[in-house]
Amino acid sequence: MHWPHRYSSLWHMIAAPIVWAIHFCTVYGWTAAVCARADAPGAARFGTGLATLVALAAIAWLGWHAWLQWDYRPHDPRLHDVPTTEARREFLGHAAWLLAGVSAIGVIFVALPAIFIESCL
Amino acid sequence: MTADSRLDAPPLSTADLDDRQPGGVWPPTPAMLAEPTDPHLAAAQAERLNAAWALPRGWRYITAVNNAEVGKWYALAAFGFMLAAGVLALLIRVQLAVPDNDFLSADRFNQFFTMHGSAMMFLFAVPMFEAISILLLPAFLGTRDMPFPRLSAYGFWCFLIGGFFVLGSLLFDAAPSSGWFMYPPLAIEAEGVGSDIWLLGLSFIEVASIAAAVELIVGVIKCRPPGMRINLMPLYAWYVLVVGGMILFAFPPLIAGDFLFELQRSMDWPFFDPERGGDPLLWQHLFWIFGHPEVYIIFLPSIAIAAMVVPTAAGRPIVGYSWIVLSAVGTGFLSFGLWVHHMFTTGLPSLSLGFFSAASQAVVIPTGVQIFAFIATLMVGRVRVILPTLWIAGAVAVFTAGGLTGVMVALAPFDWQVHDTYFIVAHLHYTLFGGMIFPVIGGIYYFYPFITKKKMSERLGRWSFWLTFAGFNICFLPMHLTGLLGMPRRVWTYPGDLGWDWLNLISTVGAFVLASGILIFAWDLIRPKRHQPLTERNPWNAGTLEWAHEVPGQAWSPRSIPYITSRYPLWDQDRIVQRMDAGRFYLPDAPEGHRETIVTSAVDAIPQVAARVTGPAWCTLVAAAFTGGAFILPTFKMYVPAVLCGIFAIASVIWWLWTATARIPEREMRDVGLSLRLPTYVSGSKAPGWWAVFVTMLGDATAFASLVFGVFFYWTARPDFPPPGMPHADPGLTAAAAALLAATWGATRIARSVHRAGRVRAARALLAAAPLMSLAGAAALVGAVWLPGLEPSSHVYPAMMWALVIWTTAHVLCGTIMLAYCLARSLAGRMLPRFDADLWNTTLFWHFLGVTCVVTAAMIGLVPRVM
Repeated sequence: MHWPHRYSSLWHMIAAPIVWAIHFCTVYGWTAAVCARADAPGAARFGTGLATLVALAAIAWLGWHAWLQWDYRPHDPRLHDVPTTEARREFLGHAAWLLAGVSAIGVIFVALPAIFIESCL
Repeated sequence: MTADSRLDAPPLSTADLDDRQPGGVWPPTPAMLAEPTDPHLAAAQAERLNAAWALPRGWRYITAVNNAEVGKWYALAAFGFMLAAGVLALLIRVQLAVPDNDFLSADRFNQFFTMHGSAMMFLFAVPMFEAISILLLPAFLGTRDMPFPRLSAYGFWCFLIGGFFVLGSLLFDAAPSSGWFMYPPLAIEAEGVGSDIWLLGLSFIEVASIAAAVELIVGVIKCRPPGMRINLMPLYAWYVLVVGGMILFAFPPLIAGDFLFELQRSMDWPFFDPERGGDPLLWQHLFWIFGHPEVYIIFLPSIAIAAMVVPTAAGRPIVGYSWIVLSAVGTGFLSFGLWVHHMFTTGLPSLSLGFFSAASQAVVIPTGVQIFAFIATLMVGRVRVILPTLWIAGAVAVFTAGGLTGVMVALAPFDWQVHDTYFIVAHLHYTLFGGMIFPVIGGIYYFYPFITKKKMSERLGRWSFWLTFAGFNICFLPMHLTGLLGMPRRVWTYPGDLGWDWLNLISTVGAFVLASGILIFAWDLIRPKRHQPLTERNPWNAGTLEWAHEVPGQAWSPRSIPYITSRYPLWDQDRIVQRMDAGRFYLPDAPEGHRETIVTSAVDAIPQVAARVTGPAWCTLVAAAFTGGAFILPTFKMYVPAVLCGIFAIASVIWWLWTATARIPEREMRDVGLSLRLPTYVSGSKAPGWWAVFVTMLGDATAFASLVFGVFFYWTARPDFPPPGMPHADPGLTAAAAALLAATWGATRIARSVHRAGRVRAARALLAAAPLMSLAGAAALVGAVWLPGLEPSSHVYPAMMWALVIWTTAHVLCGTIMLAYCLARSLAGRMLPRFDADLWNTTLFWHFLGVTCVVTAAMIGLVPRVM
């Protein structure tokens, strides 16, 4: 299989947490602006939900590519500790996949208050 | 072999389109590694190498820049400041031991708790990370030194000057007294110079922290030994990379906050004054955007020490390497989403509080993962209870307790109950002792044989541990209860009969037990060990490269830079230590008497350059002294001497760069050993200097973004921003400024290309025109806010516009100096089309600056009119 250059990139590995960060800033900024300027909790919650769906979709896409890059096979040793290009690529894939998981949890956690809290107070 | 593990990887930028490419054999074959070296040749090489890396003697010793020396000074200075801050804590505890005590006056008590927190954070915890990293990272990576040794030395001297200045204020009864987070309006109204000492002194030290972050990030990315791919890097290096990145995004908001705060203190610009449109909450936001990641900036490198000790104690590789990387990176990110949990009681919308509460819960996941990985490693290994393991075990126990109370206070309703009580004091000391003090002391016991080639005492170490551990818990465990019983933080004294008396007395007793444990450690650390035998080379039988050190120590660090194929080379790689000693690997010689190191590619560590490294110098000390003057003198309103100091500081830095950086080498290519030939000069993204500019400017961009955040913050927080009827910036001048500065940016970029193509005269013409355009642009920018009469002390809106303009103008002046520097280098024959690193770095600076200028123009010219 041919692997493009981005599969050796550290930036690629941290793409999912960057999505988390963008989601967090968007949700916080949007809520602050809408609550302060318009006192519109409905709009704040709707925007949060929308941003969350977009973020989760992006993380799922990134996670899927990381999974492919990890190239998981159940019976192989998965230590990624040998000095080969494959081990390095699979290691970056594994780390990216795990980070996608944590980022997805982070996005869901951050979105939960919008389900339960119905006011701007 | 795949394309990305070859020497001649496809070029990624025009800087790579060059005939000076690495050549020869890569990777080295086992037969080449097994070939013996000629002992006579090796002896001659060792002599030359020793001469190149020798420490300066006598009183010139203070000009040394070797990482081992600077790291030791740095660590000892930070430890000294820690002991001083610890004494303050003991005095605080004496005052609080009994009700209605008058051992300290209220004002002195305020100074003491403010300086206790500030010194522990800014003079101990963060600098200690930098010190230990400077001291150990090159050894972990089997390399000779950090990429910019003089920058480390400069950072250290800045830290030392700033530390003495800030802490020394206590002796003159002039120390800051408004708490370590300096909340306005209290800190703004505070009389005397205390607040200014805090703002300027600690900003100065933050500069040193950012310098260290740049150094460490570039060290990890570009100075790994050949073959040490990113999946083989020691875990410590992963943590350093993450923490370096966090410093870049956490410290700049505080620098931006300090900038606004000092403008208000000295010029009465009302950023935090609600009567003139300001808002004290902006400071809280900027402070805690720094302050919460700061906790993890302290915690992660200390837990990284545990990640180095645990595999040695277990006698096997770490379990879950990728999981620990996930944990470090994940914690690094999530820790930026927590800052408002310090502000739960400020009346923000509960929806917003919910976001931060949720993120505060989520960060527990990656933090927990690494603890489980350590426990798993210990479970599957065969554990030897060496002394460092004891301290690491204490760390895990104490930190876990602090983490659990952390989950409690992350819940907003619970926090409303205990906010600003001793419960918080207990929580933060559990996290910081468990997350920092215990692992760091464990790490010092572990690395002491590496650092000094002697061992510390096993018996004193156990005494120290048990006294510290017991004393800590006696002191801080009762504070949970004291807090739940309602005792607020930062009170000078309290009446009896509220149920707090005996709890406080127990805490005070515990504090002294704790102090006795730390004192035993301090004695063991510095007691003379002249008659003690030298340590064996690898006393703990560890697997990582630092234990290939030579006993007695040598200034060159490794005799030759190894080729790495394992995460634990000392366990897995055949006769690696003998081969390193014999000079079998890379750079075993210094034929021209220069200090050199190998620069490798960022991910796969393929050798790219044999780069020169700077040696001992006075200019770092001079630059640090004048930089200190520029920060310290404004505290006492001595603005003219401060400006002069600033000019001298810039002059000494220019002298330093002119004489020691981007030097044109004698030979374009160099044989580095094992039949590998590397270029000796490189510009663009292969060069460590280019990376340093990139990393610095990321931090700078964050500070600028914080100012932009300020504008939008006022817009959401205040109904009268911008106030109706207030004049706006002049549109014509703003547009002219944007056009001129964008033109400078373009001219710089074009100059780089035409210069590389050999059209030196055209490049010089552009480099002569660009500074004129940038100065004209800066003048237009200032005129845009000056001419319409924006009066900064009248309201926060004009003040904020002025702050943006001042920030950008200062940067444009800096960019102008860099352009003039390139022109001068070209005219002096020190910058040629084949040797153009200066111009590449200046262009990169202008990429960032160009964006800053355009955004500033939009923020003053367009955005307020839309608002």
